Amino acid sequence: MGIELNRRSFLNAAATAAALAAAGPLLSACGGGGAQRAGVNSESGLRAALPAHVPLSSIKPDIASIAGGPDALTDPGFLTYPANRVATVPGVPGKGGRYSAVVPLWGTIPPADNAFYQAMDKALGIRLEMKPADGNTYNTIVSTMTAAKRLPDWITLPSWWNPNFNTGGLAGSQLADLTPFLSGDNVKKYPNLAAIPTAAWRAGAWGDKIYGIPSFSSGFAITGTTFYRRDVLEARGITADQVKSADDLMNLGKELTDAKAGVWAFDDLYTYLYTSFGAPLKWKVDNGKLVHLFQTDEWFEALDWLHRLATAGYVHPDALAGDQAGTTRFYAGKVLIAGGGTGAWNLADHQNGVAANPAYRRGAFDFFTADGKGTPRVDMGPATSIVSYLNANLKPEQVEELLAVANYLAAPFGSAEYTMVNFGVEGTHFTTEGGVPAPTEAGRKEVQAQTYPFLASPAQVISNQTAPNVTKDLAAWQAANVKALAKPVFWGMNVSMPQAQATAEAAQAVMDTVKDCYHGKKKVQDVKDAVATWKGSGGGDRLIAWMDENVLQKHGTGQ
Amino acid sequence: MTALRPALRPARRNWRVRLRRDRSLVLMALPAVLLLLVFNYVPLFGLVTAFQEYDPLSGVSGSAWVGLHQFERLFGDPLFWSAVRNTLYLSFVQLVLFFPVPVALALLLNSVLSDRIRNFIQSVVYLPHFFSWVLAITIFQQMLGGAGVLNQFLRSHDIGTWDVMTNPDTFALLVTSQVIWKEAGWGIIVFLAALAAINTDLYEAAAADGAGRWRRLWHITLPGLRGVIVLMLVLRLGNALTVGFEQFLIQRYAVGHDTADVLDTFAFYYGIATNDYSYGAAAGLFKSIISLLLIWGANKLAHAFGEDGLYRA
Repeated sequence: MGIELNRRSFLNAAATAAALAAAGPLLSACGGGGAQRAGVNSESGLRAALPAHVPLSSIKPDIASIAGGPDALTDPGFLTYPANRVATVPGVPGKGGRYSAVVPLWGTIPPADNAFYQAMDKALGIRLEMKPADGNTYNTIVSTMTAAKRLPDWITLPSWWNPNFNTGGLAGSQLADLTPFLSGDNVKKYPNLAAIPTAAWRAGAWGDKIYGIPSFSSGFAITGTTFYRRDVLEARGITADQVKSADDLMNLGKELTDAKAGVWAFDDLYTYLYTSFGAPLKWKVDNGKLVHLFQTDEWFEALDWLHRLATAGYVHPDALAGDQAGTTRFYAGKVLIAGGGTGAWNLADHQNGVAANPAYRRGAFDFFTADGKGTPRVDMGPATSIVSYLNANLKPEQVEELLAVANYLAAPFGSAEYTMVNFGVEGTHFTTEGGVPAPTEAGRKEVQAQTYPFLASPAQVISNQTAPNVTKDLAAWQAANVKALAKPVFWGMNVSMPQAQATAEAAQAVMDTVKDCYHGKKKVQDVKDAVATWKGSGGGDRLIAWMDENVLQKHGTGQ
Repeated sequence: MTALRPALRPARRNWRVRLRRDRSLVLMALPAVLLLLVFNYVPLFGLVTAFQEYDPLSGVSGSAWVGLHQFERLFGDPLFWSAVRNTLYLSFVQLVLFFPVPVALALLLNSVLSDRIRNFIQSVVYLPHFFSWVLAITIFQQMLGGAGVLNQFLRSHDIGTWDVMTNPDTFALLVTSQVIWKEAGWGIIVFLAALAAINTDLYEAAAADGAGRWRRLWHITLPGLRGVIVLMLVLRLGNALTVGFEQFLIQRYAVGHDTADVLDTFAFYYGIATNDYSYGAAAGLFKSIISLLLIWGANKLAHAFGEDGLYRA
């Protein structure tokens, strides 16, 4: 853009551009052999392999879990940290083996070989060399290891990679088959792993075999929802149950937007709202015919509504300008309603919000249907998106040793083992204040950047120890909405696609136009045109045919 | 030719002598040359992926060879051509509106006599160069955005708002003014150096002969700057397909992808971001080849004007 300063920097720039185009591929050039893209699970085949589910009863939550439809249930809530930290694992799980583990970490990497790692090694009875890597570039780090066939003994592979990364191709060739150790009643040898809900094991299953150990699993796995500033809306006499349709929401936009005061009703809503118009998350089967989201009228209806919302002036201009700082606007009260992942509703959010405004309270609307008729339905996502795998080169006794370690790491919330994994050593890494573990400086540095839980952890609970009201709000919202959760087609089937189909699935050109549409810059017709192109030269029709032939016809819908 | 032959032998023998003499210089340059080889030349072999259906899991040797398929896709992709058009258009607008600014600024600064004032102005205009694009665009958004200082002022006085940041029609002017704000100060350095190299006696002599300010500018200053200006122009033309990356990445959703996509962001979004590496490599290779031709052509042009340009073959 600017003027290049001298010849050298020009030559550098030219060479770098060429290098950039080529650097990524070369890094993994040393690999070899065609990777098989495989892995789709079938319902009947997988059922035989899935581990049995044996819930634990040693620790009782304050707010019990409520079941909705099949495999849908709310997360149990804890208002305080359990005072009696029950030990669930007798003795030391390991037998002195030496292993390495790689996990993603979104935060500051703790110092290597620190006191916490040493204490964990002692508690686990193995020498586990932890190598956390930057979560933002994790995919590039891992693909060099897979290409060189040099995976560590234990590694986390996020399941949102599945369509593009080909975890299924690694399963069996580089990742160990855990089916003989975990299927059916075999899992009972590891009671804490057996307590993980069955649905979560599907995320790590490939070709009807169990490969992965799920972390952070939840029966309330949805992509996100529509949040609102409960403190602000309630002060104006607006309660969540008044919003029962898209029209209600649009009217709220008119009522709440006060541009002169710098307040707009909405931030981006698209990602978590379009399904309320009756569109599927991605796929649906209509009279036996496979239909992609882009082929549904409901989706275009949703886009039309969102386009009108933006052009009506109810969406914050910075959001329309593609600025990502929506959370800051939400805290500052410059936007009052915003879409977001359900993970946003936690203690840190409460602390940040209260720092901006002491009255801050996050709320979420109950799921509704856009026309206000019928019962709302929300497509569930996989029960977990963090799955860890063991190296295929490990001997059976080594696999057993690491599964025993995983059993320790998956100890339930509030147990002695959970406290060790999540807070470290009392006195060194945390102190107990009013019944709540409070991390010390060393604890913040070494323990709070979560590492071990990415290898295995118990099912999610709702717990915000210093803000029990957040726990109550979230638990109440989950309880009110769990009935709406339903399984979409291909749920938990783990599809890995050939490159051309994966590119079509990402549909970058369509998604770009969609974004422009709900930002008010493109019309719905432009999206229709983009979809037409996508279906032809973008490979969309071929993707639909491939999914139909290789997944739907062979393995069913998975529902 | 035959006359030169006797001279070759001593030259060859001199090679060792020269190496011994320049030993320390060669040693100093060696790490840079190695870096260039390892990070810029060796990766060139990765260009082979542009002719494959590259799969990171299989590596280069295991990926299927598809010949020119990626280029066929590329040339049939309307989004690619729109990225090419945007790149050329933005490059042209920047050439016309941005390129003269540092020259003018340097002349202006050169005419300021007080050292203190000059240093002060220089520091102020340099500063934005050291800001990242994220910061620069955030400042623009805070000032001129839909909820920014300007529009909130207009709103509070019930005057219609002015859509600067998200208007696709004026996007080229917006990014160019951002470039001017951020880079113009930095761009003057090289011109200031050239100005300092002009013999001041010439000005005195011209002034004694009765030449006014404009005549001195026209007959002494500008000819003195000509070599540098032409060099800069050659570099600019050679880099015509490189108009920036982050600036467009950040503002892409503000004006829409078909307005903001340039070749580099195209390769990123439609290659790397969707794991379609071969497609991105093909787009990158296409850009590199055209850039090479441009730099060669621009250099020829400079020679035609009697200047050295970038290099003499």
